[in-house]
Amino acid sequence: MKNTIDPYLKPVRESYRTRVSRLGKAGIFVAFIVVCVALSLITPRFLTVPNLMIIVTQVSINALLAFGVTFVIITGGIDLSLGSMVAVTGVVAALFARSETYPVVVPILAGLLSGLLFGAFNGFVITRSKVPPFIVTLGTMTIGRGLALILSKGRPISNLSDSFNFIGGGQLLGVPMPIIILVVLFAVCSVILRKTVLGRYMYAVGGNEQAAKASGIQINNVKMAVYTMSGLLAALAGIVLTSRITTGQPNAGAGFELDAIAAAIIGGTSTSGGTGTMAGTLIGALLIGVISNGLDLLNVSSYYQQVVMGVIIIGAVVLDSVNQK
Amino acid sequence: MKSTFLTVLTTVLVLTGCNQSDSTQASQGDGGKKLVVGATMLSMQNEFIVNVNDEMAKQAEDAGVELITVDAERSALKQVEQVESFIAQKVDAIIMNPCEVEASSPAVAKALAAKIPIINVNSETSTKPSAFVGSDDVESARIAMKFIADKLGGKGNIVMMHGYMGQAAQIKREQGAREILKQYPGLKLIAHQTAEWDRAKAMDLMENWIQSYGSGVNAVFAHNDEMGMGAVKALTDAGLKNKVIVVSIDAIPDALQAVQKGTLDATVFQNAEQQGSKAIEAAVKLAKGQAVEKETLIPFQLVTKDNVAQFMKKPE
Repeated sequence: MKNTIDPYLKPVRESYRTRVSRLGKAGIFVAFIVVCVALSLITPRFLTVPNLMIIVTQVSINALLAFGVTFVIITGGIDLSLGSMVAVTGVVAALFARSETYPVVVPILAGLLSGLLFGAFNGFVITRSKVPPFIVTLGTMTIGRGLALILSKGRPISNLSDSFNFIGGGQLLGVPMPIIILVVLFAVCSVILRKTVLGRYMYAVGGNEQAAKASGIQINNVKMAVYTMSGLLAALAGIVLTSRITTGQPNAGAGFELDAIAAAIIGGTSTSGGTGTMAGTLIGALLIGVISNGLDLLNVSSYYQQVVMGVIIIGAVVLDSVNQK
Repeated sequence: MKSTFLTVLTTVLVLTGCNQSDSTQASQGDGGKKLVVGATMLSMQNEFIVNVNDEMAKQAEDAGVELITVDAERSALKQVEQVESFIAQKVDAIIMNPCEVEASSPAVAKALAAKIPIINVNSETSTKPSAFVGSDDVESARIAMKFIADKLGGKGNIVMMHGYMGQAAQIKREQGAREILKQYPGLKLIAHQTAEWDRAKAMDLMENWIQSYGSGVNAVFAHNDEMGMGAVKALTDAGLKNKVIVVSIDAIPDALQAVQKGTLDATVFQNAEQQGSKAIEAAVKLAKGQAVEKETLIPFQLVTKDNVAQFMKKPE
């Protein structure tokens, strides 16, 4: 990609990023702290090391999906096929993880490859057809669900190898594997977004597609890249989930796309594109996880849980937008 | 072009014609043609329902009946439309595995108005069909909770995982569990929450409960095996499984394996094969104008380590 356009792009990106990081992220961060402090005061069981470990482990799957969809939303797109990709990639990985037939890298690579292909297909159709991403990924959401059912014959795939089950259920130096995966991927995604040309182009495409095009950015390449990365991250989420519950479930991940999109938006990613940070998305995902954990600890009825969750999501975004003014 | 098409069409017609005359022993309606049964199933993503349907397909083939199965994908609206289209196709009988108690009822009324017999399989609608084949969900929960009560000697703390709130199976399984709880004042329900029939959600919920109550929980009752398996996984990871009893319902292959291994203490077997075969039997009889039982209840069976072997299928 061309470097000549950098001088033009840089000031645009910096100005808005400073704004978001100084004010927007502060807003969601404040909301997150408030919820955590409140929960620690209400129940002594909240602020304990094991409970915090559990929250982050539970959050990891949603956070991985949210990282992917953050890339996509920053370019002004959307990916509704996340949940179905979790199912397809999880089933594919499970098919290769039955018993100890293959070394553990085989199911991992097979899962990742299926996610990469699925994401690339999304990107290909979106860039070639000019059909809005909302419609394309709505279609592939259904296709993916169907594929997962076909591959698994509609039944859960169990008896996975111990080495595969370690990915989602094992620990390294006392830290659950999903947390380690989450931390690594957070670092990788942050670097891609902040330090690479591709990251800069994402903001440019989402901020003003026409201007980005005029300045010589290969818009289609950027879009192909974000949907493919979204597919890869969804595959990783699918592998972690499958390994955690030790079965490949064709109906897993239903509705996951909404939680992931919610995490990104709560974290300050604007649905109109051009804005967003990985740190914000991570906090967004953690906030959802903390609320869900807290309400379970307090034994709040499931009816009320859904209402409370909705209120807090809207509240967080309102707080965020007030802070940005 | 046109002539090729006609040739193909004639060939197809001749072939199907041959097929029909071949199957002389097949069940035939008044007109002497092969009976057609339309089936609309709650969700072909549900393993139990797939098992019921597999058995229906097998029995239909044995009886020489043509079975058309459609998937309602958990939508009562879609289900009603599917029944309407069966009526338009003038099928000889309809088997419905209802999505919802109330919302699927119009389908029953429409079929009866068109004088086509309709059989409900597995769950009920408020409008009474020509025949019902299934099991009483309340009873399955009674069996599960009774097992817990016996194991705990009538004293202890219990948590319950609900299915999707408001669905017939969830309502009935909760009702059955609470009936037994009432008989044992020593059993305390310390928490109950939905995990939406889902293994991953159940695992999250159990982890949170372990944080809340630690080893204060003596038994878990989950409305289905998927959730029961999630609870087992969370308890095993926390090193608590040998102290907590987990019981769930459905006897899916995974759960049977877990019962054999001793990680899941018990499950309740709902007989998919019998529900499927009895449904086809009723459909064929009704289509031929014969009388059938208004209600065929297939009994549940408690599955524990002692008798699990007889429920395990040979690997495919």
